[in-house]
Amino acid sequence: MAVAQKLQCAVERIVDHGEHVYTLVLRPDRPAPRFRAGQFLHLALDPYDPTGFWPESRVFSIASSPDDRSAVRVTYAVHGQFTARMESEIREGGRVWIKMPYGDFVIDSPGDVVLFAGGTGISAFTAYLEALSPPASDRSYVLGYGARTAELLIYKDVVDRSAARVPALDVTWFVETGAIPSSRIGDPTRWLPGRVSVAALWTQIRRPRESDFYISGPPAMLAAVAADLRARQVAPEAIHIDAWE
Amino acid sequence: MSAASVLREQILSLVRQYHEAQFPVRPFAPGHDLAHYAGRVFDAEELCHLVDSSLDFFLTANRYAERFEAEFSDYLGLSDALLVNSGSSANLVAVTSLTSPKLGERRLKPGDEVLTVAAGFPTTLAPILQNSLVPVFVDVNLGDYTADPNRLADAIGPKTRAIVMAHTLGVPFDLDAVGELAKKHDLWLIEDNCDALGSRYRDRLTGTFGHLGTMSFYPAHHITMGEGGCVVTNDERLARIARSFRDWGRDCYCAGGESNTCGTRFSQQFGTLPHGFDHKYVYSHVGYNLKVTDMQAAIGCAQLQKLDTFIARRRANFDWLLNALRPYEDRLLLPRATPHSAPSWFGFAITVRDGAGFTRAELVRFLEANRIETRSLFAGNLLRHPAFTGIPHRVVGGLANTDTVMHQTFFVGVYPGLDRARLEHMASAFARFMRGERAGGL
Ligand SMILES: Cc1cc2nc3c(=O)[nH]c(=O)nc-3n(C[C@H](O)[C@H](O)[C@H](O)COP(=O)(O)OP(=O)(O)OC[C@H]3O[C@@H](n4cnc5c(N)ncnc54)[C@H](O)[C@@H]3O)c2cc1C
Ligand SMILES: Cc1ncc(COP(=O)(O)O)c(C=O)c1O
Repeated sequence: MAVAQKLQCAVERIVDHGEHVYTLVLRPDRPAPRFRAGQFLHLALDPYDPTGFWPESRVFSIASSPDDRSAVRVTYAVHGQFTARMESEIREGGRVWIKMPYGDFVIDSPGDVVLFAGGTGISAFTAYLEALSPPASDRSYVLGYGARTAELLIYKDVVDRSAARVPALDVTWFVETGAIPSSRIGDPTRWLPGRVSVAALWTQIRRPRESDFYISGPPAMLAAVAADLRARQVAPEAIHIDAWE
Repeated sequence: MSAASVLREQILSLVRQYHEAQFPVRPFAPGHDLAHYAGRVFDAEELCHLVDSSLDFFLTANRYAERFEAEFSDYLGLSDALLVNSGSSANLVAVTSLTSPKLGERRLKPGDEVLTVAAGFPTTLAPILQNSLVPVFVDVNLGDYTADPNRLADAIGPKTRAIVMAHTLGVPFDLDAVGELAKKHDLWLIEDNCDALGSRYRDRLTGTFGHLGTMSFYPAHHITMGEGGCVVTNDERLARIARSFRDWGRDCYCAGGESNTCGTRFSQQFGTLPHGFDHKYVYSHVGYNLKVTDMQAAIGCAQLQKLDTFIARRRANFDWLLNALRPYEDRLLLPRATPHSAPSWFGFAITVRDGAGFTRAELVRFLEANRIETRSLFAGNLLRHPAFTGIPHRVVGGLANTDTVMHQTFFVGVYPGLDRARLEHMASAFARFMRGERAGGL
């Protein structure tokens, strides 16, 4: 983990995805420290006086690319008290404090990679997907990305761009409720109803024994996917979970 | 501005005045003032930083420590820099980190061998012994006082797992040879860079070649915090382990006064602890507490701004002295850099040659009588000290030069506090001694 730093940021943009899900584009006063795809930051709402203690904060995956340290993006869903405060208090043009980078959830497997993302959990993968380039060797990438509705597949664009750039990336979308968008008929990617599941992706995984599995999403999804992988004899070391509290 | 910040500004402005009054630049008085071998070099900025941080009264590592670690790791081009309370602690943390169970089969285990030298500072060696590892000593070259690379290759045995060595007095050891050996035999490499901040090898800063590097910020060193040191690495996993050993052995990496940095403080499973046991109190190593205060780091932040000037001054002073002492090369072995290196000199090492017609003791006594500080090349031969006589170890190829260092080598200063007047005083003392004058007066 690079040396963590505390930075004050201007809130440049707030994207309201509906259903109390938001993306914040933050512009730190000085370039953010180096970080790796999958790492997270702390966001505080109360002012921080550097001579004293860090205020209450919550952690959010850094959804922007490590290549651009002039702006930092996070996506959050309102769950409890703190994220409710974020929804009501953060305004475009306002200021927030962040400290970063933290976390070991970095996708550094040299072999095949399988990603399971549920809801805002995709934000742990977006930096990775944005930096993904066509592999030199016979590597494959499989992504299962699900949300409650098609509208809540908020990083659809990032995934589409990566899939277009990297033919070795195989994408399956999962939508719990509502229709699959008509624009998606005839897509090279697969659209399935229901929740992200191992069963639905299993046939896409070419070498399950030699793959690394990364899971990010709500606790129930993490538990279900991890249990299913273990039941399929995937080695525990090959299962990486971004456990959100 | 709040009343507190107005007062803080007033205090700091008084501190600047105080600095001028208390530490004025005075002309050098030869024979009265010491020509130190090393020492702190500072101006009002250091005092202001120190007072500023003391007014925070945060005490433990905070904004200045964060800033120092960020700026210092950037300076070195590494991912991580971890402040500790001394260079010795840095060595302890670095070596101990390699014993972490988190490294699996690659971890150092009791009885594993570590290549090093005996001509050096005790706390380069101590952590090897403190971790029940076995040092294997090779001899050093005279003149650059670093390990003879050919001897290192000979010393590698089936149990050799690591190389832990210092860039002696700022002179980089043969990093080509050491790097190759480390690669070939899958060895860990720790560079004790305590005396070599700013030294370069093939144009790259020393301390950045090994898996871990260590620094000292004791007043004698290139920059100071009073007491202080740093462990540096570009391996985030090693950084995490080192942080744990530094911070009581805990698994959690929160800084002092912080909690839940991981965001999962109450929802993880460790060993046979109950699920969700407070991560802040989960211990994954048998650790230490070797942290710094923010006041130390504050001084370091001011010093770091001066580092490049300090390095340049050390080099210029070295070159000046080398030139001045060249005429005595028949009697004095003068210091030299290793190939491909540009040392950020810690001191100016001299070995009195066999047959010089005088002893080191006579020369040192004369210099000291002329108020010129001298130092031994630290321990000379560590194996001859009471603490280390009975240690388990191997010696490969004898330590003849190391013994010569013990008997015949010493060093004088090149630090930035030596101005031209002091250097000239030093040169004149050498000249008078070489003409036959002996201790007793100016
Ligand atoms: C590694 C990681 C990455 C994450 N990334 C994202 C992301 O990208 N997007 C996203 O929406 N969410 C993310 N989360 C979850 C996020 O940090 C919030 O915890 C979550 O949204 C809960 O909402 P809340 O904080 O409003 O709930 P709250 O009701 O405020 O509290 C939720 C939890 O926070 C803790 N807590 C409560 N009060 C305090 C307090 N005073 N001080 C400290 N902790 C307290 C408690 O453990 C509680 O269970 C991530 C979590 C982790 C661990
Ligand atoms: C090579 C070397 N290593 C380590 C140290 C220890 O540093 P500290 O005095 O900060 O403990 C020194 C001290 O001068 C040293 O010369």
